[in-house]
Amino acid sequence: MTGQPGYIGASSSITAEDVPALYEGAKFYSPAVGDANRSSITSWLAGLLDRNGPVPLLRVEGVPPETPCVSVCVLGSGSAMADLPPAGDEFEMAVRQIERLQRVSFGAVYPLAAATISALVAVVTAAQLRVPLLDADGMGRTFALIHHTAMHLSGVSPTPLAAVGPTGESVLVEVPDGPRADRMLRANVDTVGGWAALAAYPTTAGVLRRAALPGTVSRIANVGRLLLDSTDPDLLVTRLGAITGCRRPARGRIVELEHLSRPSDVTIPAHPSSLVVEELGGLGRQLRIELRSEIVAVFADGALIAGAPDLISLLDVSRGVLATLDSLEPGDLVDVLVTPADAVWYSPRGMEMVGMGSHGIPLAHPRRR
Amino acid sequence: MKRSSTLPITLGELARIQPLAGAEAHLADPSRQVVQVVLAETFDRLRRCTPHNLVVLHDEAATGGWSLAAALHLAWERNLSAVVVSRSVAGGSSVALAERLHMSLIVIDDDPIEVALQLAGQVSAPAAARALRQARLAEQLAEQTGIRGVLGVLNRELQQVPVALVVGGVVIGGQSAALTERPQVRQIEVEVHAPGERSAARLVAAVPVPGPASVEQVESLLRLARPSLQAAWAQSRLDTATRAAHEQAAFDLLRRLPSAPSPADVEVPGWTNELGWQVGEANRAVWLAPLRPSGEPPPEITYLIRASWQRGHTTWPLVAEGDGWISWHSGADPSEVTALRRALAAFRDSAVAHRLVIGVGRAHAGVAGLMRSVAEARLAAHVAREEGPGAVQWFDQVGANAALAWLPTTEIAQVADLTLEELMAAKDRAALVQTVLAVLDSGGSLSQASQRLGVHRNTVLARLARARQLGLTYDEPGQRLALHVLSYALTTLWSDTTAD
Repeated sequence: MTGQPGYIGASSSITAEDVPALYEGAKFYSPAVGDANRSSITSWLAGLLDRNGPVPLLRVEGVPPETPCVSVCVLGSGSAMADLPPAGDEFEMAVRQIERLQRVSFGAVYPLAAATISALVAVVTAAQLRVPLLDADGMGRTFALIHHTAMHLSGVSPTPLAAVGPTGESVLVEVPDGPRADRMLRANVDTVGGWAALAAYPTTAGVLRRAALPGTVSRIANVGRLLLDSTDPDLLVTRLGAITGCRRPARGRIVELEHLSRPSDVTIPAHPSSLVVEELGGLGRQLRIELRSEIVAVFADGALIAGAPDLISLLDVSRGVLATLDSLEPGDLVDVLVTPADAVWYSPRGMEMVGMGSHGIPLAHPRRR
Repeated sequence: MKRSSTLPITLGELARIQPLAGAEAHLADPSRQVVQVVLAETFDRLRRCTPHNLVVLHDEAATGGWSLAAALHLAWERNLSAVVVSRSVAGGSSVALAERLHMSLIVIDDDPIEVALQLAGQVSAPAAARALRQARLAEQLAEQTGIRGVLGVLNRELQQVPVALVVGGVVIGGQSAALTERPQVRQIEVEVHAPGERSAARLVAAVPVPGPASVEQVESLLRLARPSLQAAWAQSRLDTATRAAHEQAAFDLLRRLPSAPSPADVEVPGWTNELGWQVGEANRAVWLAPLRPSGEPPPEITYLIRASWQRGHTTWPLVAEGDGWISWHSGADPSEVTALRRALAAFRDSAVAHRLVIGVGRAHAGVAGLMRSVAEARLAAHVAREEGPGAVQWFDQVGANAALAWLPTTEIAQVADLTLEELMAAKDRAALVQTVLAVLDSGGSLSQASQRLGVHRNTVLARLARARQLGLTYDEPGQRLALHVLSYALTTLWSDTTAD
């Protein structure tokens, strides 16, 4: 990517220097994910970019509409990937399988989700295949299932898709109905090694112009640079707001962790189901933050003020970094950050798929009231 | 009996009867009315609730901390009376949020559906619910045997309504806050008749208006407590009567001991310990006597005096003796009087209320010393009568003047009525007797007497002449002492009557 640090706007290529920023930005959009395989994946990608040269990053409109494109992502658990690291060719193999099946040669790669490690493996794949990367993705953040994408909402089928495990085994799935693909894949992920490289949503650039979310790859790079650049929480929140539209509804101190399985036991890192935060300053409200695999809702004095598909993250004020959900303890001072998701997720179909109802909270989203 | 109220039941009332009686209630406002009970399964149902509803959360609306937080907020928006929820859902932070929103939260252990059904029944028939509460209270009252216990039950049951048992302006049990007049508080009283049909005590309750309990209801609860109180009262009077008799007998025995052959060697009998008495070290007696002696005081008064005298000093005896009461304080150090002074100061209000005077003797060792101190205290009490109700006289400060206090002034005055008929018939008799007394007190000096009376010497002369004419022949040596005493007695008596 060109330009000085803090540059905001679409980039034209990704170099080895951009990798740390890309990683940080990808983490911002998936706050629940830990740092288990940070060094292995970033050094792998940086080495690839050094050897093969920068990966061109193109806007979807900058690619001929008939260009075949395919998305990639990591399927399964991040910790499994740390235990059983990739051999290196899994993503390339997955793409090649679909190329063989469809008898096409993909002219561009795009991330299924421009967040988590999936954002980085898309760059890896593009570098390995020596094709450009599209500055677009299917989620604009992370969601749980592979059909939670803008492409699925636009009628693009995720199949045929190929999943290649670290053992070299692969699964090829073709289903007429998108949601079925996820169920078939989940059943196989454990068998192939706990995680798998996924290549899915083979389509053309012309379709992606209307079906994908644009600008999301350069956005995570920009967000990442801000996160690396600044540790002053107030400055950081203001700058993030300019890029992501995020706002800070409250700052407060964690007073209670409510666990699903072990009430009040804070010494064992379990996944808490609920956080209670006392707002500092302002109205002194009591915030209740509901956690599932991510933060799905924020209540202030019992009134819902943010909820999925909003991206809700916690900023550790004392350290000026994003707090991961397994590191929270009573007494921590946190900023609650709410970043709006891409507009498509607030449509009725989007809400039905990834809204709070899907997390068991049958309340109307604050944006819809 | 009055008809019970059919006003909507209040939260405070509901919380006193099953199924909520055993629940953990965090009531923001116990006086909130409950007009309907809603069993809410969904948040949609919650949104359709109307004000003053009590909502029991269930199923989807009770799936976790977030659902309770959201429900509390909706309840606050809809102005509901209270939220009832299972314990599994309510944590400490939910209680904090309820307090913050000033919303009542009741945490139950039972099945929410059953609780909602029972509550619905109670809310639809408030009179029945109140009757249930009264029945429960009656059971609790019946278990109490003491006055304190009965008042404890009443005060516990009628939260925010202080109740006190009052005898003649003195609180003998319960919360004295019941007597303080405050705005928006109505005082209600129920008479408690002692056995013997005389009105002995009043139950007073200060009911906030508007408050969680209606005035009629509080009144009926107080009436409910009356039989228990009467029983407890009679019981304690019986006890007190026994004890008083016991103490009186013991003190008589004690009194007889010093007259044994060698008074100094008298040993303190062991039975004094059974009564909690301390004798043997330095004993300082206190005599509590009515300002106007009128024979032996009734046992009720003894009971009241004992209650207020022994407040904080339960080991100090109180023995009814003649027209007064004897008490004493025993200690190692004869000059240690701090505790006694404090007790006297605390007793002052009661002394004034019951029109008592107090005499304090000196400290003497042993049983014989105690008897001596008793005699001194009695003497001092007689002197104290000159100062009016509440007066305290220490024997150390009395001296020989105490002899005057012993004069039976009433009887002497009767003598005057018979022997000095003309004088007693005179309109200006008081001035004449006073003048004669002043002259005799001054050793016959007219100038000193005129100074003391604040009148001219000639006036003194004129009055003396008239007094002599009427039979007050003060200058005859053979009659001087008798007439001096007579003048003193009459002056004291008349100044007492005019002071009253």
